[in-house]
Amino acid sequence: MQDPTILILASLADGDKHGYAIMEDIQVFAGIRLGPGTLYGAISRLEQRGWIRAVKSEARRQPYRITAEGGQHLKEQLALLGQVVRTGNRRMREA
Amino acid sequence: MRTLIRWAARLYPPAWRNRYAAEFDALLDDISPSFRDVCDVLGDVLRVRATTSIDACLMLAPVSPMNLRLPVVASLTAHAVMITIVLFAVWGHVTTMPLHVVAPLPPPAPEPPPQVTDARVFPNALTLYSSLPLKIPAQGGTLPLDVADGVGINFLSLPDIGATYRQGSTEWRVWPAQALESFVVRRVLPEYPHGTNARGAVSVFLEYLITRDGSVKVLRTSGPQPFAGAARSAIERWVYQPLEYENRSCEVVSRVEVRFDSEFAR
Repeated sequence: MQDPTILILASLADGDKHGYAIMEDIQVFAGIRLGPGTLYGAISRLEQRGWIRAVKSEARRQPYRITAEGGQHLKEQLALLGQVVRTGNRRMREA
Repeated sequence: MRTLIRWAARLYPPAWRNRYAAEFDALLDDISPSFRDVCDVLGDVLRVRATTSIDACLMLAPVSPMNLRLPVVASLTAHAVMITIVLFAVWGHVTTMPLHVVAPLPPPAPEPPPQVTDARVFPNALTLYSSLPLKIPAQGGTLPLDVADGVGINFLSLPDIGATYRQGSTEWRVWPAQALESFVVRRVLPEYPHGTNARGAVSVFLEYLITRDGSVKVLRTSGPQPFAGAARSAIERWVYQPLEYENRSCEVVSRVEVRFDSEFAR
């Protein structure tokens, strides 16, 4: 699970966050530190695809919010990941 | 590092900078960036630059399978050519660098002069030499010794006496030859190689190994031919009793100098 777009969507699933908050959240729940280039590269791709959108803010730190399409994409990816995890665990037990 | 990243962020396309520069700048104020972050930003700049040019081509071209593929191929080819040119430029710069950048190897250290332990054969030599044997075994046996005039052995004092050299599972212990005299079973003195035009004294230095079964193997020699060959063939016919150290059989390395003197050779 190294795809920064999925990590960012998972981070935004429980509320709006700006770039630094996303970076810290991912560090806590996944143990992965995204570099600033990777983070904003993924944010720009997510925004282009309409999976997140910027929330109006006066501060320099721009918060982002996950969209309905983004939430749907995250659900699909997590379901696929869960299937991989279940299959892998079952095969490890059988081996 | 933060300044370096800000400089790298200027390489993003203008559209990206207009959209994200302010918040990207705020992010840099929050984190403690490292050199890895600089590489991370530069990598993303390259990715954005490449995809932006491809996207621009795709938007300008009418939609058809060929028109979709051509801009991608053209963009990738252009990038590949640019990278190749840069690599060739760097290669040319590296290969034309002056060779004196690499420091020359230091000259080999001169071998220390042999130290003399005994004198028998050559009374006119500046150093003193020993004929053989120095020590007869206590049980009264005599060594089968072939002695030729004009040849003598100098038992070198060893600066690394007692040292142990390991090579894989093999272990060699350095020991002076005179300390092994009581273990000699057979010793052959080198014969003076007649038929040479050499006049005066010639020295050959040899390092040899006494194997576990007592046979001798010469590891290296230093000296002119045919004297080095004569010394080597004689010493490889030496035989010792199998040697032990701390109740374990061991292999021993020792060194001698063989001196040939035409004045005393028959």
